[in-house]
Amino acid sequence: MAEPGPILELENVTKRYDAPAGGGDVPPVLAGISLTLRAGESLAIVGPSGSGKSTLLNIMGTLDRPTSGRVLLDGQDLAALGDEALAAIRNRRIGFVFQLHHLLPQCTALENVLVPTLAGAATAPAGEMQDRAQQLLERVGLGERLAYRPGQLSGGERQRVAVARALINRPALLLADEPTGSLDRAASEHLASLLAELNREQGVTLVVVTHSTALAAKMARGLELRDGSLRPHEEQPA
Amino acid sequence: MTFRTLVARSLRFHWRAHVGVVLGAAVATAVLVGALVVGDSVRYSLREMALSRIGRTEIAMASGDRFFRASLADRVAKELGAPAAAVLQLRGTAVREDGEARINEVQVLGVDEAFWAMASAKPPLPAGARNAVAINEQVARRLELKVGDGLVLRFQKPTALPLDVPLAGEDASVGAHLTVGAIISDAQFGRFSLAANQAPPANVFVPRDWLEQQVNQAGRANLLLVSDDQTHRRAGSEQAPDAAAPPLAAAAADAVLARDAWSIDDAELELRPLPAQNAVELRSRRIFIDRAVSQTPSVRAPGNLGILTYFVNELRVSDRAAPYSVVSALGPIASGEGTAALPLQTLTAGMADDEIVINAWLAEDLAAKPGDTLEMAYYAMAPGGRLETRSAKFRVRAVVPLDGPVADRDLMPDFPGLSDVENCRDWKPGIPISSRKIRPKDEEYWKRYRGTPKAFITLAAGQKMWANRFGDLTAMRFPASDSPARAQALAESLRHEINPASLGLYFQDVRGRALAASSSAVDFGQLFLGLSMFLVAAALILTGLLFGLTIGARAEETGTLLALGLAPKYVRRLYLAEGAILALAGGALGTLAGLAYTWVMLLALSTVWSSAVGSSNVLFHAQALSVIGGAAAGFVVALATIWLCVRRQARAPARELLASGAEAELRLTLPRRARTWIGWSMTAASGVVAGLLLSLAKGATGEAAAGVFFGIGALLLIGLLGACHSGLAGLAQPPRGGQVRFADLGLRNAARRRGRSLGVIAILACGIFMVVAVGANRRGAEEDADKPSSGTGGFALYGETAMPVFKDLNSPEGRKAYALPDDFQHNAAFVALRVHAGDDASCLNLNRTQQPRLVGVRPQLLAQRGAFTLTAQEAADAGQSPWLLLDRREADGAIPAIADTNTITWSLGKKLGDTVAYTDERGRTFQVRLVAAIDNSILQGSLVIAEDALIEKYPSDGGYRMFLIDASRDRAEEIARVLSVQLSDVGLAVMPATERLAEFNSVENTYLAIFQALGGLGLILGSVGLGVIVFRNVMERRSELALMRAVGFSRRSIARLILTEHWVLLALGLVVGWLAAIVAVLPAMRAGPVPYLSLGITAAAVLAAGLLWTWLAARLALRGPLLEALRNE
Repeated sequence: MAEPGPILELENVTKRYDAPAGGGDVPPVLAGISLTLRAGESLAIVGPSGSGKSTLLNIMGTLDRPTSGRVLLDGQDLAALGDEALAAIRNRRIGFVFQLHHLLPQCTALENVLVPTLAGAATAPAGEMQDRAQQLLERVGLGERLAYRPGQLSGGERQRVAVARALINRPALLLADEPTGSLDRAASEHLASLLAELNREQGVTLVVVTHSTALAAKMARGLELRDGSLRPHEEQPA
Repeated sequence: MTFRTLVARSLRFHWRAHVGVVLGAAVATAVLVGALVVGDSVRYSLREMALSRIGRTEIAMASGDRFFRASLADRVAKELGAPAAAVLQLRGTAVREDGEARINEVQVLGVDEAFWAMASAKPPLPAGARNAVAINEQVARRLELKVGDGLVLRFQKPTALPLDVPLAGEDASVGAHLTVGAIISDAQFGRFSLAANQAPPANVFVPRDWLEQQVNQAGRANLLLVSDDQTHRRAGSEQAPDAAAPPLAAAAADAVLARDAWSIDDAELELRPLPAQNAVELRSRRIFIDRAVSQTPSVRAPGNLGILTYFVNELRVSDRAAPYSVVSALGPIASGEGTAALPLQTLTAGMADDEIVINAWLAEDLAAKPGDTLEMAYYAMAPGGRLETRSAKFRVRAVVPLDGPVADRDLMPDFPGLSDVENCRDWKPGIPISSRKIRPKDEEYWKRYRGTPKAFITLAAGQKMWANRFGDLTAMRFPASDSPARAQALAESLRHEINPASLGLYFQDVRGRALAASSSAVDFGQLFLGLSMFLVAAALILTGLLFGLTIGARAEETGTLLALGLAPKYVRRLYLAEGAILALAGGALGTLAGLAYTWVMLLALSTVWSSAVGSSNVLFHAQALSVIGGAAAGFVVALATIWLCVRRQARAPARELLASGAEAELRLTLPRRARTWIGWSMTAASGVVAGLLLSLAKGATGEAAAGVFFGIGALLLIGLLGACHSGLAGLAQPPRGGQVRFADLGLRNAARRRGRSLGVIAILACGIFMVVAVGANRRGAEEDADKPSSGTGGFALYGETAMPVFKDLNSPEGRKAYALPDDFQHNAAFVALRVHAGDDASCLNLNRTQQPRLVGVRPQLLAQRGAFTLTAQEAADAGQSPWLLLDRREADGAIPAIADTNTITWSLGKKLGDTVAYTDERGRTFQVRLVAAIDNSILQGSLVIAEDALIEKYPSDGGYRMFLIDASRDRAEEIARVLSVQLSDVGLAVMPATERLAEFNSVENTYLAIFQALGGLGLILGSVGLGVIVFRNVMERRSELALMRAVGFSRRSIARLILTEHWVLLALGLVVGWLAAIVAVLPAMRAGPVPYLSLGITAAAVLAAGLLWTWLAARLALRGPLLEALRNE
């Protein structure tokens, strides 16, 4: 069986922020990063605080643009696309899980999972999406909590709703930014396992930015971001 | 999950935050709906009032001092197939029995059942009730009368001629002590009046036959009302019912009147056979025969004799004189050959105009013989109501014996006070008679021959001396062998030859005029819309601020939606949909509240603001269109405001929104110098333009001044807000040297959310601007009321009488006639004005006036004093007063007029150079051209024209009814008191001129008060907005404040920090508003001083309210354990 094609390619990506008035030269946050991710792959990016992990993830997820270099998703150069087109790509091809769940407080768990389908580019009829949302919530262990609002759920449960929401449109790429950062140990472990299982079951490419070695250990590949460059993560088991 | 579900979920979840938004939109909608419904209510009330005052009357013939036969009503009714009623309408005064209360001007209406049928009302008094009157509610209220109470009614006895014409007789008013038999409501026709005014008239209704007897007008009336009763018309005409029958038109009625209904008796003409003289004589009850009659072919036929008989003061030949004699001028009416069929015609035939024929009695008395010079002295009328003695010399041509046709006592017309008097000593001809001069032989002559002329002159000579505005003949005779038959035939031919309209008998479209006046009246809807604009704006700014805050607080939600791939446009649509539903809810709620608000406004209009609606009762009336329109407008403006807020949403990157929540909506980068520069340059540019406007605006008046005022005001507000924007941006810069002082922290916080801060400053500044500017424009009592150039014209007193005054009050005779003290000669001077009744075109009348009252003045009198300040359409000749423009003859025959600026602009909706159409007494249309405007004066409400022009167009409007009175300030009060007592019979109402001016100003001041009150409401909303923003600011920063607590700040110092930050906004709002108002108001500044005290109090109140809200909000937000906020982070 041939190796699957690349989903995401970063070519020599640099990101530099403006210096405050009167400040001197600031080193770039990302200094010429190149990276290729294939379908079904799972990757953990670790690194110290302020090393630019989230910036890198945002650039992968089209939430930010590089200062220079190219980002290709499914072979398409994202630099040429406008905000609307990027929003559409985000909606269909990318799923996000944030450190803070960012659920809409006014909606139930089920509704929150369905929010991405509102963008109008639904891949299936509404009824089908509803079934899928329900299945996803059952899959993350919240089959009994469909009609609960975020305020009525625990931190771990909220984060699992966020994971289900990230998967609703069957994305090719699932990006998680410190997904266990605000969870207790048990909930963290549960979520880490869940993400790893989903990566396998759904065939979705998974990129996790984390401080958690336990979570990083569950990923097939590990990279460390330091001084703007990626290098293999030393603690990664062989 | 759909778009709709998400919107619904959000609405439900954020309902607390949305309440404010809905309320803001509701206030805006309520104010809009309210303003429109107030307009509806005023319009509806005016219409109802108009309809209740005319009842079912369609057209009316108001003939003033001409009395047609009351039976004309029956003939008109028959010919038109429509009900008609004859009314005898007189002006009078009403005094309560005890003399403690009086009304100077009442309409005394002699009516019958037909009149009450016009209102579909039953006659209020039983038939045959003597000495009982029905009064309307206005009279009952003002005189505090109830049924059974007594009142004294005084009214002028109509005279054949206006009393300022020599030989018109004496002033005779009739007083009657009557009992109130009924008090009738508006619905029962109590408000009956033909004048378009919302102020109810004072009406006293008496049986017409009783009134006829009182004033010697048996079977006569001067007002004919016709209703358009279709059912009646069909029944009368026996024609098939015509559903689309055209309404009764005045022109059609005029045609029917001329063709079928009238007879010459309706014009007070009389044809009587004189069989002894083989003649028919045409006479008039009005003494002089109208020129419209003397110009007809029948009258001008050759062979007819024209007669002009006069009562002269003296006939003298050298030292012998005969006092008070009758002289007749005789001659053919039309030049040309004619057979002299009448013996009298030969008497003056071939005579020169300076020759006179005297009878034997006079010849003997004066020892005169042919060839002697006879001097005749007679009275004539000089301008200003003064009698003037003139004289003429004649050569005696012949002496004729006092018998045969010469001994004809019918040659004298029925001069009032002469023809019906037995003794010379009882003569009251209306000219001064010295009884000392009357000799026994004169008495003897009168007893034997009565008014038989003692001398005869040619008709031309007589007309040269005695013709007046009413005519130049007192009788005419037609030769006739069979005089009764000839009389009948002549009556018929005259009926066809004379147009009754030329004798004042014509119909007017009463209903059309009433409806036109009420429908085009002052549009209170627009007025209130204008006055409420600031309140609406304040409500909208508040709506926008609150909605903006709510959405801002949901930045994380926005970020999530964006990160999940929903397009920014989609997110904005989501918020807009949410806002639309809020606006809709606000609109619906506001519509209901608007109806309640209308009710409150109407309550205010009937109490504290009653001056604005001329004290009339305004009934609530809402038109579906206004309610829907107001609701829709409220919804649209609220939605637009929300759209403005939403438009800027979802622009920040999702990651920023997610990372820093609401803070991301701010520019995280510090403001650049360039941005500050933009604000400052905006300030500078606005300042320069405002300065230019200010210098150009000197001398601007009226709407131009208002435009300048708002232009400068708006520019200054924008400029100063620009300065605030830049100033705040400057504050946001970190201080040099990096040191942070505690006081700076508050200021920098104020700069943190510049949009919000500017919103608060703007709302407060606009409110202050409105309140201060409007307050400064209020008109106070004039400081320089003594100056002729002021609105009082320098006159101390202003008086109007119900009945005309014929004597010159400046003359000894005038003072004697009204028993005025002699010192009046030095202490009071009168400028008397003639009045032709019309609509009140002052701001006290809400109706769009159709034909304002005309006032006749001798322009010279006002020009000499330099009275009032005039703006002429074109400059008068160098050094000439614009008043003298009134004497000018316009090329197109229009009559020049001067009127108050307010009257021209608001009541008439005209400008200088425009004309107003009038119909003169003879039914002819003429134009009155506005040639100059008076600045804010006591003459508001009328058009002032030259006295001569008024007399020419309305000869019957005799006497003076308006008086501008000069008196020294310290004596004015006493003079007013004496005048009111002495001239009470003519119903003089006199008041200080400043008071009359204040009455007019009170209307304008009331509008300003409404403006201020609504502006004040806006300010309250503004300060509430400030409170809300303080609360939200603090709530959003609880964790930040908690941190400050954690690092050791005391609760008190934190509170101080919050207050500093917000007081800056409050202070900036006040300063900006005040500055803009003070500078903008300068060019429009009125005569009075700026009421700094009351304005200061207003500003202080706003400041206090703002401080209170800030303090309350800060306290509320800081309540509870602040450090909890850190844990919640």
